[in-house]
Amino acid sequence: MKSKLVLFLILVSFVVSGCASATKDQVVAESIVSQKVSDPIEPLNRAVFSFNTVFDKVAVRPVAILYRGILPEFVRNRIAYSLDNLSMPVTTINNILQFEFGKAGVSTARFVINSTIGILGFFDPASYFGLEADYEDFGQTLAVWGVPTGPYIVLPFLGPSTPRDFTGLLSTSLIDPTYQVGNSTNRDLFRSYRMGVGVVNFRSENIEIFDDLQNNSIDYYAAVRSFYNQSRNSQVSDNLEVSPSINQDNLFNEFEEFDLDDNYIGPDVSISYPE
Amino acid sequence: MQIKKILILALFISSINSFALANFEAEEKFVSNFADNAISILSNDSLDASQKNIQFTELVMSSIDMNLISKFVLSKYWKLATDDQKKAYQVAFKQYFISSYANKLDQYSGEKVIIVSSNAAKKFVIVKSNIVRDGTDTLKIELDWRLLTRDGQTKIIDLSIEGISLIIAQREEFQSFLANNDNSLDALINKLNSINNKN
Repeated sequence: MKSKLVLFLILVSFVVSGCASATKDQVVAESIVSQKVSDPIEPLNRAVFSFNTVFDKVAVRPVAILYRGILPEFVRNRIAYSLDNLSMPVTTINNILQFEFGKAGVSTARFVINSTIGILGFFDPASYFGLEADYEDFGQTLAVWGVPTGPYIVLPFLGPSTPRDFTGLLSTSLIDPTYQVGNSTNRDLFRSYRMGVGVVNFRSENIEIFDDLQNNSIDYYAAVRSFYNQSRNSQVSDNLEVSPSINQDNLFNEFEEFDLDDNYIGPDVSISYPE
Repeated sequence: MQIKKILILALFISSINSFALANFEAEEKFVSNFADNAISILSNDSLDASQKNIQFTELVMSSIDMNLISKFVLSKYWKLATDDQKKAYQVAFKQYFISSYANKLDQYSGEKVIIVSSNAAKKFVIVKSNIVRDGTDTLKIELDWRLLTRDGQTKIIDLSIEGISLIIAQREEFQSFLANNDNSLDALINKLNSINNKN
């Protein structure tokens, strides 16, 4: 408990020093969001990725299929809502660490309303009051503080990450209030529910998508890497108040200007496709 | 007099507002037609697999800028390709693209794409939409469609799901495959054909 307190204090001091470096400067913000995918340890990453793929095939996917087969949609939706609700307190903390006090109010109100009127978070009445869900983790907070994401890494069992996101993941268990409530049995219960059921719930929502990717990808590893980086960049661009489609706009614009110029790419073959 | 001025001002402001809302009505309609047609073809159980394929191919070819996308995902390798390679690639890519998108859109069969808004982004128009998860009102999946008008024709050039651009992912995948296969476009064409034959 004492070591946790020390770590918490270190985090707080981070925040205070973060105040100085926290910036919403447009140029800096865009540079944080527009970082190119860097994958210097690709061979190692690919090896770990292969391991994870096998692990998923034998352990996670079968459980996800069972989960979706046994539980009716109504129950699965209730679980999805309750997982969302349990992630609200740590969202509030991150809202505050990102100096988004308005959003902190929204996430707090969501948690209070859904935990009570929404019966322990199994329903989402808060959305009907216009309090839309928005999730924040500590990795996003680090991005707001100007920490660059670093190279792409694939972690055993945990999957795609970056040093910034992994630091965020480790710190989340320290700053998440739902992990501090009650005795240790309660905490373990919360933790297992959120991590275990969270993973299975996520996987069960994406069975066909992953199957399709795995079977029909030209390069499954590269597809997942792109999905991960794009998804994180899109969440972070939201935090940094940069247009979420900025990377996409730039790429397509560049292409449209240079690559689609017939003089530049050679003749525009128009062919009749055989049926 | 004062009231008249206020009324004129109010009218002016409301007209600005309605202009802003109706910005890209044609593009919004285009996307909603495409999505409705795609989902209705794919979830039409009275069609057999080959009929579905023919109808879906027709819809895709008339709504999606396959020419632009096929070059975009190859990037610099397009310029290096011979004319024969370009032709072989475009034939293979078309079939790969259509079956891959049929699979992706098939997840949403029976659901309704709701158009939310549209905005300009450089030369493009982005139409924002979402799909509400079955059995809920508030669990949504965000789909953003990128459209480009060239030579008077508007077509879809990208679909982004929850901030993930499928075409950019495809491009990174192709670049990675080529980098790991001696930059051989023939290897990519063979790979595409082997996946096409499997399906």
